[in-house]
Formats: sequence, structure tokens, C-alpha cells
Amino acid sequence: MADLTNKTKKLSVRDLKISFRTQSGKVQAVRNISFDLYKGETLAIVGESGSGKSVTSRAIMGILAGNAIVEGGEILYEGKDLMKISESEFHEIRGDKIAMVFQDPLSSLNPIMRIGRQLTEAMLLKNRASRNESRRDLNRLFDSILTATVAAAPEETRQQVKAEFSAKIARFKKFTYKQIQLEKSYRSALDNAKAAVKEIVDLRYALANKIPGRTSEDLHEVLSVAAHTFDYFVVMDEAQALHDALSLARIAGRAYLRDRSADRDPAALIAALDNISGILTRAIEKEEPNLFGLGYYLTFVDPQIPDLPVPELNALTHQKLDDEFMLDFIAQARSGVEYAAAAAQEARKTALARISERTPFFADPQSDAAAMKAATRELADFVRAGINPVSLSKDSASYTFEGTVISAIETYKSAIGKNEAEQKRFEKQTEKRQKLVDAGKTPTWEVAPADYLDLDDLREQIVHQLTAMAEHLERQITRYGEKDYQALTVDMIDYFKAKAAASVDKLTKAAAKNYAIDLMGSVGIPDPRRRYRQYPFEFSGGMRQRIVIAIALTANPDILICDEPTTALDVTIQAQILELINRLKAERDLSIIFITHDLGVVANMADRIAVMYAGKIVEYGTAEDVFYSPAHPYTWALLSSVPDLDTNGRLESIPGTPPNMIYPPKGDAFAPRNKYAMKIDFEEQPPMFRISDTHYAATWLLHPNAPKLDPPAIITERIARMKQNGDKRKEGGADDEQ
Amino acid sequence: MSNEIKTGEELLRVEHLCQYFGPLKAVDDVSFTIRKGEVFGLVGESGCGKTTTGRTIIKLYDATSGNVYFKGQRIVAGTRAYRAEIARAKAEAKQKLAALDKNDPASAAERQKIVEECCRIVDEQREQIRRAKVDHFHSDKLYAKAQKDEIDREYLPKIEAATDPEEKSRLQAEYKNKRRIASRTKLITQIQMIFQDPIASLDPRMTVREIISEGLRIQGVKDKNYIDEKVYDMLETVGLVREHAGRYPHEFSGGQRQRIGVARSIVMDPELIIADEPISALDVSIRAQVINLLNDLREKRGLTILFIAHDLSVVKYFSDRIGVMYYGNLVELADSDELFAYPLHPYTRSLLSAIPLPDPHTEKNRKRIVYDKMRDSDFSHDKPQLREVRPNHFVLCSEAEFARYKETIPRD
Repeated sequence: MADLTNKTKKLSVRDLKISFRTQSGKVQAVRNISFDLYKGETLAIVGESGSGKSVTSRAIMGILAGNAIVEGGEILYEGKDLMKISESEFHEIRGDKIAMVFQDPLSSLNPIMRIGRQLTEAMLLKNRASRNESRRDLNRLFDSILTATVAAAPEETRQQVKAEFSAKIARFKKFTYKQIQLEKSYRSALDNAKAAVKEIVDLRYALANKIPGRTSEDLHEVLSVAAHTFDYFVVMDEAQALHDALSLARIAGRAYLRDRSADRDPAALIAALDNISGILTRAIEKEEPNLFGLGYYLTFVDPQIPDLPVPELNALTHQKLDDEFMLDFIAQARSGVEYAAAAAQEARKTALARISERTPFFADPQSDAAAMKAATRELADFVRAGINPVSLSKDSASYTFEGTVISAIETYKSAIGKNEAEQKRFEKQTEKRQKLVDAGKTPTWEVAPADYLDLDDLREQIVHQLTAMAEHLERQITRYGEKDYQALTVDMIDYFKAKAAASVDKLTKAAAKNYAIDLMGSVGIPDPRRRYRQYPFEFSGGMRQRIVIAIALTANPDILICDEPTTALDVTIQAQILELINRLKAERDLSIIFITHDLGVVANMADRIAVMYAGKIVEYGTAEDVFYSPAHPYTWALLSSVPDLDTNGRLESIPGTPPNMIYPPKGDAFAPRNKYAMKIDFEEQPPMFRISDTHYAATWLLHPNAPKLDPPAIITERIARMKQNGDKRKEGGADDEQ
Repeated sequence: MSNEIKTGEELLRVEHLCQYFGPLKAVDDVSFTIRKGEVFGLVGESGCGKTTTGRTIIKLYDATSGNVYFKGQRIVAGTRAYRAEIARAKAEAKQKLAALDKNDPASAAERQKIVEECCRIVDEQREQIRRAKVDHFHSDKLYAKAQKDEIDREYLPKIEAATDPEEKSRLQAEYKNKRRIASRTKLITQIQMIFQDPIASLDPRMTVREIISEGLRIQGVKDKNYIDEKVYDMLETVGLVREHAGRYPHEFSGGQRQRIGVARSIVMDPELIIADEPISALDVSIRAQVINLLNDLREKRGLTILFIAHDLSVVKYFSDRIGVMYYGNLVELADSDELFAYPLHPYTRSLLSAIPLPDPHTEKNRKRIVYDKMRDSDFSHDKPQLREVRPNHFVLCSEAEFARYKETIPRD
């Protein structure tokens, strides 16, 4: 069992509460559940259909149905609350960071699209979107820094500064793009070199041991891969040597292949291959050239790469870049950064003053909603002016200030209307009843008491938004003095570089296809190249589920939610898919939430298990805890309703059906179906009792005053048997398990 | 569980059953028998032909070849084997004729003999085909005729003997009614089916009463009170209440729906129930309810069940004997305890190794055996056959494997 204490928390769900609005009332699907998911572990959520397990997973993915109401709680992922972030922020998490595998592989694939397109579609779209976004970000930031720098210059030189600085930006763009080109060819040449070295090892072995096979194809392949390493100085100082070595190898190879005799000697060819391998290995181990500097050098100094060893080349290009451009550029940009920060600081001070000035107006119950809205818009202009345009971190609080305050005002305004309507209803009914009483009748109905919304509280909400903004501004103002502008400017230039790379980093269809085929291979689909072109109906159930898993993995997520991935599959295929998920988890260090109704399935998967019933977690512990010492009667019932290979007696079925969650029961929801239920189970909900550090259960049976109860015989016997088997295994060592 | 119920004489015999869909051999040469009162489990992965076997037995498909005998009467008969025999005989005769010299007068008698022999085989096989067609398409008529004859034998003398005119007319009416129902009785209704998906197998526009009583009405029962009583009786047998009769399927939970499916299948008082994955689509907690229900029915009514499933732990729990199918073939057939104690065929071993168990330690040390037909079995020399390795334990194997299996298991 992995020790979870020193593992990092990937996801944590706190007091999550979700309901669904339906025709017949509000269905409480998830009621205050909390759990954590650690890096690299599998958490299994087990429960009957309708227990809320799928709703929980959908909430994490942000794909709840339209009639869902999130009543409270939070889902924390990387410091963000997924219940509160905007849809555009969710776009960066859903699928990219948290991916999902659905139950029915047939309905989660598009029947009229080839598998290949379905695998690459998201990759290509995401890539295009991120390219466009990077380009937009880059241009916006260039514009703002240009404006700020121009504004920082004295009045009379502004025209000149503008021309100068925009020329510099143009230059910067130009050589950055050059650098990206270099980077790409360098990387691919390096990859080729590595691949060639690896293949030479195989080929050499085959030649030395005279293994018959595809020598001629392999040789051709090796030589052509090796030839693709000439790009950009990977083998720069030994280019001629490599060229000669390749020619030699070609000649030796031709001679070897032409010789059909039994005792042909591969020694010459092997020597030539060794020579190539040696040159490439040296090239791989060489220091990486400074491509940024080189990009500048090639663009503006000399289109030829000077014939120097890499360290000297790096020094030269770095010097050139700094001397001729970079220092100057940083200095000028820095003036802009400083100026923008100072301007923002002033604007914030004004905004803070305005907000403090206007707060009493908002707090005043006499103020009219329309007037408040107008005042908000006015304040929002001040707040927006305080946003630093060249800052790299987004000031979302200031951006969303107007929206949040106005929505609070709207709520307040509608509450006034609702209260008036309620008042009218109440008066009307009282009057009606009074009439009946006056007429000497006894009405059979009571007047429902007036239910007013708390206006003060709502007004308080509006004011709270203002004070929160004021605090936010104050924090920013005090932090002003601590800034290191040199570092900020360098950060900004790094940001430019990264964004520029992202904006031209085009994922070609061919590259996406290669990646998809690799992925298909890694989820165990044989002959991926042929199957890439097939339609979903040409795949069997297990293969389809593998495809769905591959699609989920395209974006390299760190959390994978599997919603009953094997329920539609039969036993052998189920075992294969579970093994696949386990293997991928180990390979990619994934955290997995595994949702199922079958406890048997999770024994081999789960590190920890949460048993859910009627929207609540009733038991929570490690797999050992839950299987070897189950504590909640519902877990007992689940365990005893599955026969295992030694079960002979009558199965303990769970009588009845889960409760109607429009009217959730007052006490323990499982009490009506529970033969161990006590009186208190019907009256009060049990809290989570702690059994050990890792094991918790919500049942009154764990209360110190409760009678001591043992699980049903079928379970205790099975556990005893399992323990016995375990001991036997330990004694017998590697004896045959059947 | 399996030892408590005495199994009696043979109820269903499947002989060399084949069901081909074009080039696809969904069921290929499957033979087994089911004795009265036992539960016979048929397991295998999806696509192995276990459902097709069940459906061919109940005549939802027309068998390609082979026979199924139910209560001694042939109800399913395919003709492909006979046709193949005719083709073979003709080809053989042709070959023999070609070998003889055409112009040699001495061989004329020989040729005559060959042609006659061929014609004899062809006629024989044609007669077989004719009989197979009669049995396959008219088995119900034959059964109804037998039933009617029996009623005739019972009532006609009574009516003859009756002296009181009132008694006579009453007997006559009873005789007519019974004869009418008998004329509509089908042997095949003695076999009923429970389907996998309880939602798809119930008509959403029919009430539970209509669903359950449909079979009775088709058979010609008109007495409304009788039908109602029968429906209520069935509902109570499967653990529902009378009030449920007026409701529609969507008003029930999954487990209750499957109970309705069970009620529908037992209303005709069948002797054999084919349960086609009756619990695969259900939640774990409800599975136990349905299994317990089937177990109760089997005890109370002495039902015989052909249980088709892929969940081996349930099949083990529920069945007396188990047949394992792999790509249309029955690869192993044995008593359930025997099968789990000594699985012989490599495919059975691989199936057993895939069963998930609620035990983390076992599961984390589990080694799954992968079955690869090309690697594990060598059938290049002789065609595999079902051979009896131990008493009542059959394995599909070649001669060499048979010898090897014999060595590996302990002898009683």
C-alpha cells in the first residue's frame, strides 16, 4: 500500500452539494461529500445507480446537466475552485488536465468518422486555438509595451521613440521566428541522430550474428535517418566526416548485399556503421548551441554559421545579441514597464479613493438600483484604469469587478420585487380568510406565513463586493514598492519568446497522425497503422474502449475519470482493460477516479475506495480497509450480494430500492433497507466515525454506545478464507494461483 | 446448492447443432444434453455463439444443421449436413466413374453398381431432409395432434358412457374447449426465454397484465377471471404485488422489470427456461435478488434452466453443469465443481483467470492466462473432438492433447 501522507494532493472535493431541478421537485443527488485524490493513486467510487457517483464525476469535469444546481462546496484543482472559474478557464482544464472515459464505448465514438480523425481532431483543434491565442496575446502585449514606452519618453522625442521602438519590436519578432525554425530543425535532427544510433545497434547485432532478415531495408533506413542529421550543425564540425562515413557505409553495404555466398563477411559494413554511430554519439553529447543568439546572428549579422566549436559560437552570438540589440531593447522596454506600473499605481489610488467615497451611497437603503448601476459603471472605469497593461499576471478581480457588482445589484432589485409580490399574496389571503371568519365560517386552511427575502443581507453583499475590491487595490498599492523592474522586463521578454514559439508551433496532420498511432500502440491496439483508417463499427467492444482511452490520453491529462469503463464488456475483455488502465497509470503517473457498481472490479485497481449511497459517502478507506474490515452495513450488503467461487449459501440480496431523493430521509438513508438499523438510524444522520487514520464510515454502529455487531456470516467467512489464501500464498511463494 | 436437487431424465438434447450466418460459423457442431431439473450454464465471451445457441434452440433462427430434441421430439432440424452428404456421394461416384474405362464393356456392370449406390444414398438423404423439414416446421402441429388424440381418448368414451343429457352436454362443452386449446398448443411454448435487457424486452405500451398474459391469450384462453388470477399468481410468485398488474414497465426499477420478464416466461408453465444473460444489465445489488428468485422458482416448480452468462462466479454459484464456448465451439463440458477444480482446456483456464474477486491481495498478485488458439492448440494433424477425460468431463481436444490431459488430472 502506497504511503499517502507524503503524496501531493491533485484534487480535493469539499462539501460538494448538487441538486437537480425536476418537474416533481428538487432531487438531491449529491449531499455534502468530501474526498481527496492524490498524485498517482486510484480512487474508486462505488455505489448503485442513482447514488450520485456519476454526478460527482460530471461536476469535476464541468459537464453537469442544465438543470443541475450547485448548492455549495468546492472542487479544488491546482489552487482553483472548479465550481467558480469561468467557462474559458475551464477550457484549459477539461480534456487537457482532467479527461474522462465513459461507460459505453459505442456511444462515445462518432459512428461516421474514422478512428484516426476522432483521435487527432481534438489535438489539431486545440493546437490551432492555442496558436491563435498566443498570437493575440503576443500582439496585445507588444502594443501595450509600445504605448507605455512611448508615453514614458519626454513629450518632444515621442515620435522618434515610437519609430525606433516599433522597429526594434519588428527585429525582435523577425529573429525570434528564425530561432524557432532553428530550434525545430535542431530538435528533429537530434531525434534522428538518436534514432539512428539505436537502429545501428540493432542492425550491427543482426549482421554480426548473421540473423537473416530485412538487412537491405534496415540498412537503407539507418542511412537515410542518419543523413537527416545534417540539418543545422548537430554534426557541424564533423559534417564532412559523417558525409564520408555515410558514403563508405553505402559502398560497403552494396558490396555486402551483392555477395550471395554463404560466408560473406560483414566486417567492413560493421566498421562503417560503427564510424557513423561514433560521430553521431559525439554530436548528441555536444553542448547545445544558444539558438536564440544564433537566430539573431543569422538574421542580422551573417547568414553563414561561423566555423567555430559550439562554446565559442555560443559566446560569440550571445555577445553580438547583447551588444547590438538586447541590452538596448531591455533598457527601453524597462522604461515602458516602469512607466506603466507607475501609471497603474496612480490610477489605483484614485480608484481606491472613489470607492471609499461611494461606499456609503451603496450601503444606504434609500439608493435606487438604477442609480447604483450607473455609479458602478463609473467606478468600474476607474478600476479598469488601474489595470497594468504590461503585467504578465491577469488581474481578474479588476476585470470582473463591474460584472460581479451589477449582478449583486440585480439580485437585490429582484428581491425587492419578490418581497412586494409576497406581501401582496399574504395580504390577499389574510383578507380572504378574514372575510370567511366574518361570515361565521371556519376556513379549513391556514394562511401561509409571509416568506420575505433578507434585503439587508443582499445589500450587504453589494457592499462586500466594494470592500473586497478596495482591499484588493490596497494590497496592490502596498506591493508597488517591492518590484524589481529589471527582472520583470526579462520575464516579459521570456514570455514573448514562449508565446512566439507557441504561436508558430503548428501541429501538422502528419505529426498528429504519428502521435495518434503511437498512442494506439501504447493502449494495445495491434496494427495501428491499418486500424487508424477504420470506423468504430469495425472494432470489437474491448478495442473500442481502448480507442476511447487513447482519445482521453491525447492531451496528456494528469487526472483520468473512468465512469464504469468495463460495465459494457465481458469478463476477459474487462480484465484486459483494467490491466491497461493500471499500466497507463504507472507509466504516466496518472491519478484515476474509477467509478463502478461492482466491488469485485476495484479490488485489483483501487488504492482507496469511497462507497456512496444516496448522495453521501458512507465508507471511505484503503482497499484493504474496505475489503478486509468493512464497517458500514451497506458495504456488507454490497459485498455479500456478489457470489465468489466458493459461495454456496443463499445470497444476501438488498431488499427494496434506493430512496427517492426528492424527499431524502431524515436519518441514515440506508436505514429502511438495513436489517441492522437501530432506532437512531431513522432519526438522525450518522456522522463520519473514524476507525483508523485511513478508514472512516458513517454508521451509528460505530458509536461507543451501539451494540457490538459482526458483519454477516457470508462476509466473515469469505474474509477468513481470503486471509487463509493470503497466508498460503506467502508460505508457498510462487505456487500456482487458480 | 447443486446437490440438493435431483436431476432426472433427459429433457433437451442438442446434437451437432450448427448455425451459420453466411460465411460466419456462429455455432459450429455443438452437442450437449440437459436433464430435467438441472441448471446448465453456458459461458464464453461475447461473440462466442452462446446467445445464438439459445436462440436456435427456441427456433428464433432456423438451424443450419444438426438436431434439437425436446422431450424426445425433434423440434429443430437443419439440413445442411444431409445436403453435404448428397454432394459428397455424387462427387465420389463421379470420381469412381472417371477412373473406369468408358468403352470397356466389362465395366458396365461395375458402373451400374456405382450409379445405383449413389442413387440410394441420395434418396436416403432426401428422405432425411424431408423428415427434417416436417419435424422442424410442423413439430408444433404434431405435438398438438398428439394432445388432441389424448383428449379424444379421455373424453370420447366418457361422453359415450354418459347417460344424463345435462352431464353429457357439460362434458361435450369441456371436451370442445380443451380440444380448441390443445389445437393451438405448441410444444415450443414449453421453452421460454428471459432476455438480457429488461428495458428493451418489455413493450412500453403494454401494461404488466397484458405483457404477462399475452402468451395465454395467444393460446386461446378467453376466461378473463382465469387470466387475472393467473397473472396475480405469477406476480406474487416473482415477489411483486397484485397492484402492479395495471402499471406500465417504465414505472418499475431495473430489478422489478426483470421480475416481470421472469413472470412472463413462467406463465405458460414451461419446462425449460433459457435465461440469456438475465443479470448482466442489472446493478450488483439487484443481481442477487434476481438470482435468488430464479433459485426459488427452480426449487418450487422444478424448472430446468439453460443459463447463459459471461460472469463465471455467478454461473459457478447457480449452475449444476457448465459448458464453455469459444468461437462457436463447445470446448469444455463438466459439472461445475469439477470444471472449477480441474479446468483442462486452455481457454477455460484463461476465462477462470480473468474472474475479478473482491480480494485486493489475490487481485494484485493475479496472473491472467491469455489464450491464443494458434499457440495453445495444434490441430494440424487431427480434427479436435469432444472427448471424455474424466467421467462426465468432456474437452474438445486432439488425440495428443487427450493423452496429456489424462496425465495431468488425478484419477478417481
